[in-house]
Amino acid sequence: MSKINNAIYEIHAIDALASKDRWVNRIHPLVKLIITVVYILAVVSFPKYDVIGLAGMVIYPIAVFMLSELSFWDSLRRLRVVLPFVCLIGILNPLLDKNTVLIAGTEISAGVLSMITLIIKGIFSVLASYLLIATTSIEKLCYALRLLHIPKVMITQFLLTYRYITVLLEEVNRITQAYSLRAPGQKGVQFKVWGSLTGQLLLRSMDRANNVYENMLLRGYQGDFMHMRERIAFRWHDMIYFLFWASMILLFRMYPVMWIIGNLIGGMLA
Amino acid sequence: MHMADALVAPAVAGTLYICSTTAAAYSIKQVRLDTDTKKVPVMGVMGAFVFAAQMINFTVPGTGSSGHLCGGMLLSALLGPYAGFMAMIGVLFVQCLLFGDGGLLALGCNIWNMAFYGCFIGALLIWKPMMRSGVSKTKITAASIIGCVLTLQLGAFSVAVETFVSGITELPFVTFIAAMLPIHLAIGFVEGLITAAVLLFVYEARPELLFCHCETERKDGRFSFKNTLVILAATSVLIGGVLSLTASSYPDGLEWSIERLTGTTQLEATGEIQKAAGSVQEFTSLLPDYGFKGSESELGTAFSGIVGGLVVVIVCVGICYIFKFFRKKKRHE
Amino acid sequence: MSHIHIDVEDVTFAYEKEKEILTQISFHAAESDAIGLIGANGVGKSTLLKLLVGLYTDFDGSIRIEDIPVQKSTLPHIRSKIGYVFQDSDSQLFMNTVYEDIAFAPRNYGLPESEVARRVEQALRLTGIEHLKDKQIYKMSGGEKKLVSIATILSMIPDIILMDEPSIALDPKNRRNLIHILNSFDHLKIIASHDLDLILDTCGRTILMQGGRIVCDGPTKDILTNKELLESNGLELPFCLQRR
Repeated sequence: MSKINNAIYEIHAIDALASKDRWVNRIHPLVKLIITVVYILAVVSFPKYDVIGLAGMVIYPIAVFMLSELSFWDSLRRLRVVLPFVCLIGILNPLLDKNTVLIAGTEISAGVLSMITLIIKGIFSVLASYLLIATTSIEKLCYALRLLHIPKVMITQFLLTYRYITVLLEEVNRITQAYSLRAPGQKGVQFKVWGSLTGQLLLRSMDRANNVYENMLLRGYQGDFMHMRERIAFRWHDMIYFLFWASMILLFRMYPVMWIIGNLIGGMLA
Repeated sequence: MHMADALVAPAVAGTLYICSTTAAAYSIKQVRLDTDTKKVPVMGVMGAFVFAAQMINFTVPGTGSSGHLCGGMLLSALLGPYAGFMAMIGVLFVQCLLFGDGGLLALGCNIWNMAFYGCFIGALLIWKPMMRSGVSKTKITAASIIGCVLTLQLGAFSVAVETFVSGITELPFVTFIAAMLPIHLAIGFVEGLITAAVLLFVYEARPELLFCHCETERKDGRFSFKNTLVILAATSVLIGGVLSLTASSYPDGLEWSIERLTGTTQLEATGEIQKAAGSVQEFTSLLPDYGFKGSESELGTAFSGIVGGLVVVIVCVGICYIFKFFRKKKRHE
Repeated sequence: MSHIHIDVEDVTFAYEKEKEILTQISFHAAESDAIGLIGANGVGKSTLLKLLVGLYTDFDGSIRIEDIPVQKSTLPHIRSKIGYVFQDSDSQLFMNTVYEDIAFAPRNYGLPESEVARRVEQALRLTGIEHLKDKQIYKMSGGEKKLVSIATILSMIPDIILMDEPSIALDPKNRRNLIHILNSFDHLKIIASHDLDLILDTCGRTILMQGGRIVCDGPTKDILTNKELLESNGLELPFCLQRR
């Protein structure tokens, strides 16, 4: 099933990006995490007709895409997951919100505006998450979560899940390939074997969990996990990065910077 | 269905984060990791299992469409509600980060909509009571289907409520619900069937893996019922409170954004919002006046916005180039 | 006699009551012994290895590691002396990067981070995989994973190494490399395998099992060249001897 191959490919691709030794990758993970959350918060908190204000938020993705040298086109793949539902909800707005706004002599439907902001919000928030994970490895992110006092148990479990996702995806891939070779022309797994196919996988996963546990015991595990070789130190440019983006996001959230600049230029021209 | 960041207002996202965190904190306490160290690897690996198993397409007989596994219900039928809940959080977290399925902000909502209902309602209110007097094939099937249908209905309902309260859609709430619930009734039924098939296989092959199978009723078991209800009640109060608060302080957020668009006043608007609260009619009557009539300046507001936007983007790109240029130079030196 | 030795006396074990997996197993292993544990599928080789590290403790008879009896209360102590390499590397390697995985055991034994780093370096050097230090586990080949698995137990500086099917899923070159590395260790080794050529190359002594019992215990050269003995126990001569 290509869905599984896609997922495996995605994990490899993201991991390869995150492990690069770029300037943005070396920013402290906690700083990047907080900035990402602040940015998404700022984006989604824009009022639903404020297209121009919201458009100003484009500076963050543009800058980080350029600085991290990530490919913008690769990131678009991620939009396909959430965007359809967002669009589905947004697309009804023009039909339902019959109010109109008069802009520059033309009547524009308020519903269209709210649809546009909704879709832009969807795109920006997905891009921001992508920029976080494509520049920060899962281990570093977990380190940041640890700094936020997320319980160790949860982080250990995240890391184990992350570790075994690729192993089990490969296994599912083998099983479904073996199945489809003997059941040509079927789109999915037939009713009769629903239970046994998945059940086998489940029992094997349970056995694996058991093996992992035995293995941990044999290597001195007593219920506590210690991660991370060294602490990631806060450096002065982490602080600058944080302050810069925090103030930029705040500035663009509070003031319609684009509009003000446009007006200034307009004033100058006039 | 995963909620996207764009569909939740910060207040809603925050509320659901608080709810989910509370449930998670309670689960961690209940899982008793200090005595049962095996839970950690089991939760980790089974989380990965659910992730992988959800990739399998199951053909639904007679329809030609395909269904998927319901992770929350399956995990809690195997690991119990608390460990199942934690494993599901892991799955949702990884999905959100690695695949952009859901979002960082909406993670709290997604944990609530999918993991909480599946694990707490599905396992504690349906699975456990039904299996109390012994396990049988019929009971497993019934519990899986009822559990999945119920958890999906609750999940879909929550998605609708969260989207509605966030002021995202113009769709009347009732219409929204009427569209969401029947679809999820069908999905829930199919997911229930698939989950039942898997659990039946486990029951035949290794019955000891099932939660509640010949488990002696522990003392605190009786209280989990009540605790779930308490959590549910508390959260509905919390959600209700935030709902009414957001609804009253931001009637729409409409007004000041229109003002910004048309360029009359900008930031003093906060006071205006309070004034405008509840006065939607007055507000709509204002609308015609908001239009830019070309009387004050030759340049339209929208045009200002576009020009300003271009300048901002160009400056931003330029600064980045300069920044990169100097970094490269520094590296070469 | 040195302090490193294993004594197994009259051990009988069953997962379920009637079905005995192991019956009256007894053997003694001394320091620098390299023992090949052979036998057909399902004769109890893996179970025997697991008993030695106390993964199952409800057996009859006695197992003593360096004079310490294997029982619940002594497990942490015993396990710190034994390194066990699992058959499936993916179960052995549960952390995300090589370094973290090798560092898991020393950290659990409460060593300071500088000592942990030293141990990891040493384990990487002994297995010749220094270049893999920061690699992601899921990106590695089967051969690399096996070497990392071995490194994860070397970082505990064990007295005794147990291995379950180490050469399974390795290509000839990786297998050759593994044999080379195994021969460079002077630990007490017990290797359970169907790969009789591997046993021939790495172990001086062989224990042959059949139906949960030890059939034969002696020098590898004698046992692995005895065609009749091997075939009556569901095995064949090592490939390198079949051609002759």
